[in-house]
Amino acid sequence: MKTYTRDRFIKQFTRAMGLIILIVTTILLILPIITLFITSLKLDTEYNRYPIVWFPAVPQWVNYETVLNLARFAGAALRTVLLGIPYAIVITLSSALAGYAFARFRMPISSRLFGVVVALLIVPEMVVLIPTFIVYAQLKLTNTYWPWVLSAIAGSPFYIFLFRQFFLNFPKELEDAAEVDGCGPIRIFVQIFLPNSTAVIATVMFFAFNAVWASYLMPLIYLSDSQQLLGVVIATEFKNPRGITLTTLSMAGTVVYILPPVIAFFLAQKHILKGVIMSGIKG
Amino acid sequence: MAEKASTGSPKSLVNTSKHFTLKRSQRRTLFFFLFILPWLLGFVFFGITPLVIGFLSSLTNYDGLNLPNLRFVGLDNYARAFEDPDVGFSAVRTLIWCVVSVPIYLVVSFLLALILNQNIPGRGIFRTLFYLPSVVPLVAAVMAWRSILDKNAGMLNAVLDIFKPGIAIGWLSDYALEGMAIIATWMGLGFGMIIFLAALQNIPEEQIEAARIDGANNFQIVRHIILPLMSPVIFLQLVMGLINNFQTVQLPLILTQPATYTQGLVPPRDIYLYMIHTYIQIFSNRRYGYGNALLWILFVVVLILTAVVFWTQKYWVYSEQSSEGEKS
Repeated sequence: MKTYTRDRFIKQFTRAMGLIILIVTTILLILPIITLFITSLKLDTEYNRYPIVWFPAVPQWVNYETVLNLARFAGAALRTVLLGIPYAIVITLSSALAGYAFARFRMPISSRLFGVVVALLIVPEMVVLIPTFIVYAQLKLTNTYWPWVLSAIAGSPFYIFLFRQFFLNFPKELEDAAEVDGCGPIRIFVQIFLPNSTAVIATVMFFAFNAVWASYLMPLIYLSDSQQLLGVVIATEFKNPRGITLTTLSMAGTVVYILPPVIAFFLAQKHILKGVIMSGIKG
Repeated sequence: MAEKASTGSPKSLVNTSKHFTLKRSQRRTLFFFLFILPWLLGFVFFGITPLVIGFLSSLTNYDGLNLPNLRFVGLDNYARAFEDPDVGFSAVRTLIWCVVSVPIYLVVSFLLALILNQNIPGRGIFRTLFYLPSVVPLVAAVMAWRSILDKNAGMLNAVLDIFKPGIAIGWLSDYALEGMAIIATWMGLGFGMIIFLAALQNIPEEQIEAARIDGANNFQIVRHIILPLMSPVIFLQLVMGLINNFQTVQLPLILTQPATYTQGLVPPRDIYLYMIHTYIQIFSNRRYGYGNALLWILFVVVLILTAVVFWTQKYWVYSEQSSEGEKS
């Protein structure tokens, strides 16, 4: 009886310890976002003062108003959205189509090509990105959005992989019945596969849009300053006409910049985490 | 004979009933290629072609403008890479970067996964919250951490200042490697935790129960049952982490804040990583040939690492079977 209560005590104790560690970790993880938010409400003079001003004397909500009305910020945000949405739609479609082919058209060449898809997941991004830039520069396609258009049409190995794994679990009977009824492969894809895979589509769309929204290196090397996407604009920070960096204003911009992916993640987190798990075991 | 017939059945079926099946299979082949055509073209033009062009240009003195009088220089660029003191320096910095950041990433995310695998109230919420930093764009993550790690205005130095007035540690300049490790861990641990958690949940409950009945304590269970069973996943994460960190370029770039890619780049020496050196060769110095040679050296290193993973696959085949039930 005594050992029983002791065991229970240990169990309760480890559980409590675990909970404490989790809460502390959560606070540590959220902390930079909180300090970012607090700093975004300061005046630049408060930000640069020594000793530090922990909290702004008067929260400068006007920072948010200013940054949203700033042509450099609003223009880049608009461009990023206008590029990101079509990019996400097209790359989702092309990846779904390839995933469908790899899942449902079983033949020796199909599994060999799928091996190539999996192998491509390992190739270092940079090794391809820089020579690709050289190719685009020769084709005079830098300073345009063509690199995004073309890579969207081509699909992405990771998304293809996600769609294939998902489509593999579709019941074969559904498809057979449709085929007997005279449905061709395209109609089967559009009318049976696509409508029944909203979860995967949402996940891939989230990843794809976020890839554009969060991108830094690709816009930096492909686009000129007047066409720049939001990631690069945020990274170079805002300056006043005399060239002095406006840090707290830039931080207000950063808070706005973080919101869309975070909100989307909370809305679809269950599906997204599932997709993340699949990406981890892809190797 | 019977055996032969059964193994060769799909083919013989096609051959005997020519009229219908062959047509159907041909049509299916056609549709297959039609569906993967966008990807296939993309693979050829944006996968293979750049790789080949990158390799070919690494054998020349290409600088982006001298196509008419291009000179074949053989392996000179590669020889030069091994004599370039900056390559040696940046490679060492990259190794230090890996040694600092990868183990932290593995240990922290593994411990979090272990805790979350317990029956703790609200673990679903914690799982979501821990992944949250991973969806924050890298650029925003650097800005957020700047409010803490900045040398003059950051809150960390302000806290340290209370204990030791006048202290000013350059977390993003003099000690940029450490600062970068903090940011990278913050962004990456959610991913690692999710992967480890998924693998932990594949461990049969009976094994742990059996050990517990035999009198093993928590530490012994982790040491003798969970760690061995998890070793394949840990190893895979280790290799993936190494491959990712070999190519780290965005974090140091963002910390240096170039407005355009041609801008001369002077990152702190502490984070003068291999890919940063390569980036400078290509974009600032326009040494395309040399830069591509540096890229291919990295590529070969990554290939060797990947090959090691595949050769040792038999040691982690356990996770392969449980995660992917069906292999084509």
